[in-house]
Amino acid sequence: MRPRVWFVLVCGVLLAALAGLALGPVRLSPADAWAALWGAGDTNAVAIVRTLRLPRIALGLVVGAGLGMSGAALQATLRNALAEPYLLGVSGGAAVGAVLGVTLHLTASWVQPLAAFIGAAASVTLVLLVARAAGARGDPRVLLMAGVVVGAFANAAIMVLLAGAPDETVRGAIWWMMGSLGDATWTGTRWVALYVGAGGALVLAMAREIELLSLGEDPAAALGVEVERATRRVYLIASLLAAVTVAGAGLVGFVGLMVPAIVRALGARTVRSTIAGAAIAGGALVVAADVMARVIASPAELPLGAVTALIGVPFFLVRLRRMA
Amino acid sequence: MRKEPVLFFSPIRLRRSVACLTCALVASACDRTRTPRATALELDDFADTVRTDTRALRIVSLSPVTTEILFALGAGNRVVGRTHWDLYPDAARAVTDVGNGMQPNVEAVLGLRPDLVVLYASNANRGAAKQLHTAGIATLAVRMDHIADFRRTVILLARAIGDTPAGNRLADSVERSVGAVRARPRPAVPPTVFWFIWESPLYTIGRNSFMSELVEVAGARNIFADLDAVSPQVTREEIVKRNPDFILTGPENAPKLRASPAWQAVPAVRAGRILVVDTTLVGRPGVRLGEAARHLRALVLHDTLR
Repeated sequence: MRPRVWFVLVCGVLLAALAGLALGPVRLSPADAWAALWGAGDTNAVAIVRTLRLPRIALGLVVGAGLGMSGAALQATLRNALAEPYLLGVSGGAAVGAVLGVTLHLTASWVQPLAAFIGAAASVTLVLLVARAAGARGDPRVLLMAGVVVGAFANAAIMVLLAGAPDETVRGAIWWMMGSLGDATWTGTRWVALYVGAGGALVLAMAREIELLSLGEDPAAALGVEVERATRRVYLIASLLAAVTVAGAGLVGFVGLMVPAIVRALGARTVRSTIAGAAIAGGALVVAADVMARVIASPAELPLGAVTALIGVPFFLVRLRRMA
Repeated sequence: MRKEPVLFFSPIRLRRSVACLTCALVASACDRTRTPRATALELDDFADTVRTDTRALRIVSLSPVTTEILFALGAGNRVVGRTHWDLYPDAARAVTDVGNGMQPNVEAVLGLRPDLVVLYASNANRGAAKQLHTAGIATLAVRMDHIADFRRTVILLARAIGDTPAGNRLADSVERSVGAVRARPRPAVPPTVFWFIWESPLYTIGRNSFMSELVEVAGARNIFADLDAVSPQVTREEIVKRNPDFILTGPENAPKLRASPAWQAVPAVRAGRILVVDTTLVGRPGVRLGEAARHLRALVLHDTLR
């Protein structure tokens, strides 16, 4: 990828972060926001920028990075430009794991991502089994259908888990399932960043194998890739990346779908550069979507997942048409 | 004050009432064992007609407020069903619990063979009211969003049990004690409060909630009294901007506020100006409204009055 593209991506993420600092229900000029970031100026502005906006931006960056890399890895491995963790039911499974964790009182910042990962791994296995039962593992349409069905099953499972829970818990859980960065804290963000970092390192280390897998199973096997094992690994790592974001910010769909496409459109050619670019672009997209979620219905706040879906679904439809 | 009198007929409602009256007459004409008599018509907050010429003897009350009013009217022994949350007065605990008051379990209600079911007039309860009507059971739906709704609710319930004087006495006494708190001296600049209801999503109370009205009665000002919704969703940033003097919240939420890093952005939380409210007392516009107003006043004006 040419340096110009990296420059565009980095500029995009910086712009989104600046918007995240300056925009919100309380209007701050960019200069005031900048001063507040360093602790100068009005104390209220400092509190808003440093305690409320900064953790949100940080969480948005890592959540977006996780979703972007997960989507990029899945799309390449499955040779399917419509693959992404939300549509494949991975996020739904992660949500079941996280909610189950909460009902079992496992709420520590470092446990929740793991509980979500277990749920995500289970659901990705289920999706692949369902797709295999249909006899066409490689058929993108069957795989997506299996993902949507498993996602619906996950939704039902969550409703069952929440039956009998007090009203407040149910409301909170439903809000969380729609995705939000509103409860961002530094502790939570640190753990999410750690897991996303680990998953990102693993997926980048597998970039060459993913590249070969993206050529097709037979060429990959011919070039010395152990197809089954490598594929399984990619699924697991992609599930980890997605699950961690679910534990950190709830269900934020379609980021994994849009971001790799944007990065490829900008000129990424190799899997490695697509994944790395998707990490940056994903962060920019989630932070920008969060700014919209905060500003559009102010003083109320929209669920982040609703904003990404409003952008993502038309995007999905355009891609679907192009594929057909 | 609410402008609508207890009895009023808009054209549409009048038509509906006439239809109801006709139905009632036809029904009683067919039923030879009963002598037709003039039906006193009332409209509840679902604009359904309510018969007030019969005394309800087996009442299922599906809201904590109506349950405590029925007990205060001396009709506690006629209450055969209540919701899970109707725990005042103590005698109410002995009444059968039918679970939720919003979208109630109609089967459980019918199982108690009531002759009147009292509902909170929320859209979520329209389906239940319809099902009960189909089963031939009278319903009384009342809205209780404002302090001023209290009198109407009490009078409707008093008529349903056939004791209007008791209703007037109760409404007078509660309004007097709220009025007494309102009439007490207040600071020139009222302290501002933010009422914290729930986290994620973050809810507070707006102008059209009796809780906001209670805050004014107590001599303080709700920072979100400019919002129309009964329980509007807001953001922490907006709270920082409006910078309340105090945070009002229930006993279970106060420790969460103190421990949460994000809430430290709000100056009142940082300074520990969190007032713990007795939510069982203040959370419902019932017979203890006066007591609730006194409780709030003691909390919010504690420092000012010293």
